[in-house]
Amino acid sequence: MTVFRIYMKIAKKNMWVILMYLVIFFGITVMFQQFARQDVENYAAESIPVGIVDKDGGTAARSLAAYIGRTNKVVMLEEDREALQEDLFYRNVDYIIRIPEQFMEKCILGDDKVQVTAVPGSYTGYYVEQQMNNFLNFARTYGAAGFSEDEIGEAMSERETAEVELVDFSGNAGRTPAYAYFYRYLPYLFLSVLCYVLGYILMGFRRGSLPRRMKASAMPARVQTLQGLGAAGVLALGLWGICSVAVVFLYGSDFLGNGRSGWYLLNSFVMLLCALSLAFLVGSLVKSSNALNGITNLLGLGMCFICGVFVDMDLLSSGVRRAAQFLPVYWYENVNIILTEHGNIGGNVRMEVLGGIGIQLVFAAVFVCLTLAAAGEKNRKGQ
Amino acid sequence: MIKIENLVKRYGNTLALDHFNLDVKEGEIFGLLGPNGSGKSTAINCMLALLKYDRGSIRIMGEEMSPDNYRVKSQIGIVMQDVAVFEELNVYDNIDCFCSLYVRDRKKRRELVEDAIRFAGLEEYRKSYPKKLSGGLLRRLNIACGIAHRPKLIILDEPTVAVDPQSRNRILEGICELNRQGSTIVYTSHYMEEVEQICTRIAIMDHGRSIAVGTKEELKSMIKTGETVTIEAVILGADDLAEIRELPHVFDVRYEDQKLVAKCTGAKHNLIRILSYLQEKDIPFGRVFSELPTLNDVFLEITGKQLRD
Repeated sequence: MTVFRIYMKIAKKNMWVILMYLVIFFGITVMFQQFARQDVENYAAESIPVGIVDKDGGTAARSLAAYIGRTNKVVMLEEDREALQEDLFYRNVDYIIRIPEQFMEKCILGDDKVQVTAVPGSYTGYYVEQQMNNFLNFARTYGAAGFSEDEIGEAMSERETAEVELVDFSGNAGRTPAYAYFYRYLPYLFLSVLCYVLGYILMGFRRGSLPRRMKASAMPARVQTLQGLGAAGVLALGLWGICSVAVVFLYGSDFLGNGRSGWYLLNSFVMLLCALSLAFLVGSLVKSSNALNGITNLLGLGMCFICGVFVDMDLLSSGVRRAAQFLPVYWYENVNIILTEHGNIGGNVRMEVLGGIGIQLVFAAVFVCLTLAAAGEKNRKGQ
Repeated sequence: MIKIENLVKRYGNTLALDHFNLDVKEGEIFGLLGPNGSGKSTAINCMLALLKYDRGSIRIMGEEMSPDNYRVKSQIGIVMQDVAVFEELNVYDNIDCFCSLYVRDRKKRRELVEDAIRFAGLEEYRKSYPKKLSGGLLRRLNIACGIAHRPKLIILDEPTVAVDPQSRNRILEGICELNRQGSTIVYTSHYMEEVEQICTRIAIMDHGRSIAVGTKEELKSMIKTGETVTIEAVILGADDLAEIRELPHVFDVRYEDQKLVAKCTGAKHNLIRILSYLQEKDIPFGRVFSELPTLNDVFLEITGKQLRD
């Protein structure tokens, strides 16, 4: 097991690199998890003090005041310019709506605008304006359909009481489970560690006349290759094992009891194969430590940025997403998103997941073929 | 031990080995001498089945050499021209690693590795990493890695390139010691002094061909030059040169930078005859040298060019 032992000894010399990437990975995972949790907990509809001067007093005007009052604190004010200015100045209200006389005729059936005044530089007025426009649009639709003022008021109040039913496909009540973040950032760890460590080892085996000395030895080249592959496999499995144990340790029953843990493990294992095959390709081409560093960072960070690891997939432009489809990490993340969004992996969803995993395997096979082609070309040149 | 017949190897349009023949007998230190690009390393690579060749045959220890003849390969030790060790492993681990490519038994291997460390004089450096070793120590490690498994045939491809004189002497002594222990040695070099010093038989290579083979005495006897007389700080005219050329056994005279170089056949008293001529003519002179022919003279006379171009 000479070659196997050399792989392990060289890998041991790079233990600090593996530890560094593990620390970065767990750091990123925990940090993003915390950010995501804060975002969810802080979410609430904005409620601001709104003053309404109702010169009309009709059903439609009252209905508008009620509509605005559902999410904001409404204060009914008198038409007194100085008093209104003071209210705005002392921030008693952030926004004033003046409902004119004949509100129904002028603003709902007609094209007049409702007069509004906001605190200068305040962005919160935007929400109120949006709500008011919503009301007016619905009211105009009802008006155009021949509804009377009372009927419009009644329809708008009924509209407010309509119930929305949330369909929870994931079983997480719309929240992203913590372990999903763990699996989301995993490609960065796999790509960085395997490309660097294996690249370093393979570079060592290609240094100077070493390949000739190994080839001239009494150990068949086939055995050397198998031992090398075995060692690389053990290293990769070790990394995957550490991550799999860590996810169980960190998320316990949340992860194991979700019914999709097997799929997460399978998807991450296939991603591991992709990273391993890519690492062999990098290791067979790269010639110096500096180049190896550069390529490892380029592959690790580059793929993770454009394939939805560090930047949410929804935030990526369609062009970037199209380009990312030519990279295995995109398909890994795609499968992860499906697993996060669906509690039950069956039927079409199952096919979609298997399709994503299959595409990753194709990528792994392509990387292996490219590595073999590069090795063949080198042998041919050496002859 | 090694029999190569009519070996032809081409790199595209370049003929690297041109019907190359070689016969190395067991127990020899056989030197392959030739200038850079003469085909020495190509011949070695073909012998080790690292290169495919176009024509000819190579038999080592009576067996046809091929990439998968591991029985023969297990009896060969190789020391490359470039240092071929793992920078990430220390001295002991490097020797152990290369030894383990040939010897599986751990206990036996431990003994062999210790012997190789002693042989190379690396006892104090067993835990050192290659980057911390000097050029000479690195070369010794390179040799230790190649010979640790005690092969019957050791092929050394220019092992003393860029080595200090002290390390070079140690390496050459070590090679003789390996030979005394029973190994047959094939030694390639373009340093003729080294080859003259240690090799029992020598093949001189040029343009991929073996142009002369024999012991150093046999090689030197192949050429006309028996002695080269050099006299410094002498002022000679054209008539003097012509007269010296006419002296008995002198067959070539050159005069450059106030230095007379006269090549003579192997007869005695050449130096006395030339000095007597200078005294008779009352021609003053400085330092005087008389040299026996070297392998460089052999190469020069056969090919018309210097060995070290």
